[in-house]
Amino acid sequence: MNVQKVLIVEDDLWLAEHYLRILSAVGYKVLIAPHALAAIDAIDDDIPDAIILDMLLSGSTALALLNELQSYGDTGSIPIILCTNLASELSLEDLRSYGVRQIIDKTKMVPNDLILALRSEM
Amino acid sequence: MVDSRLYLACYNYLYMSATIGEHNHFIDGPLTDGIPSLVAAAHELKSPLVLIRQLSLALENTDISITDQKRMLRQISFTSEQALRLTSDLTRSIRLSDALFALEPINPQQLCEDVLRDLIPLYVAHNRDIKIVSSKRALLLVANRDLLRRIIMNFSDNALHYAESNIAVEIKIGSIDAGRTVRLGVRDYGPSLSGNVLKVLANRLTNTSTSIHSRPQSSGLGLYIASQFADSMNGKVGVTRHRDGSTFYVDLQASRQLSLL
Repeated sequence: MNVQKVLIVEDDLWLAEHYLRILSAVGYKVLIAPHALAAIDAIDDDIPDAIILDMLLSGSTALALLNELQSYGDTGSIPIILCTNLASELSLEDLRSYGVRQIIDKTKMVPNDLILALRSEM
Repeated sequence: MVDSRLYLACYNYLYMSATIGEHNHFIDGPLTDGIPSLVAAAHELKSPLVLIRQLSLALENTDISITDQKRMLRQISFTSEQALRLTSDLTRSIRLSDALFALEPINPQQLCEDVLRDLIPLYVAHNRDIKIVSSKRALLLVANRDLLRRIIMNFSDNALHYAESNIAVEIKIGSIDAGRTVRLGVRDYGPSLSGNVLKVLANRLTNTSTSIHSRPQSSGLGLYIASQFADSMNGKVGVTRHRDGSTFYVDLQASRQLSLL
């Protein structure tokens, strides 16, 4: 069975490590990118099976990355789970065309939410 | 519709700093005079609270090794301290107009070394490095020690978030304006800014009359507070954008004490 790869795009390193700890424990191969440019590099190297994406990133917002991913056939279909403090201001319906499958509210999430979200999308 | 909603959510956040900048220019009163400032404070405190909550929930899991538990507890402490610094600065900035501040000649090198000592454990915990860069014997400046210290701590907290791990953040001490002004800056080497982001920043610099702007993704509250502190010492806060990071600086009057001797 292939190990599923998850890319975490999160500029809070300690929060990213926390996600990594949760997801590695249940068998995912996890990579961390602290900003959109690093994410694009990581995706160029190895296309992940899913992306967990923060909305407000260093250098540029997730919006730039979402647009970039949608511009290419091989990256446009990667399931994206937004994990953000701005969840209450976003609508999943509006974001579906960007490849966003779920929005997790960072202020309410529990550690298991990430696993449940990934399992339902991959 | 999709674009506009998404942009709206982001830009509400991104352009908060521009709003704050305008307030900085037009309002001399307390920070809480403006509703956007309250929104900024709420947003700014969300991130550390989210991290603390997540780590606390994770610590309920008994499978975590002792080493990881200790590391997570340390992260909770440092994150709490950073959030407390912000709330403390916020309180201080609200009370600025009610208080008198003693301005005194200060050796910037000494003050920066004190700040550095306090910051090193935080930087080490983040696997980051910070150092002082001073080109020559620094001039004394006129400032309030506590407020100046808060400004440098604030800039350094900000830099920590954006700095890459392989290049040290620099606290720079120098003088400008033929030695009449001392400039203390905090230079980080973060991710390169895209052309679009640079364009947005350039527009902000053109369209607002203040020189202080936050990161594109930050509410800019900390920087707003820093600018309030600088104002109360007759100083000025500014930012220089580089392709590979930023320098946030405060300019303060050099002490004329030596020339009077």
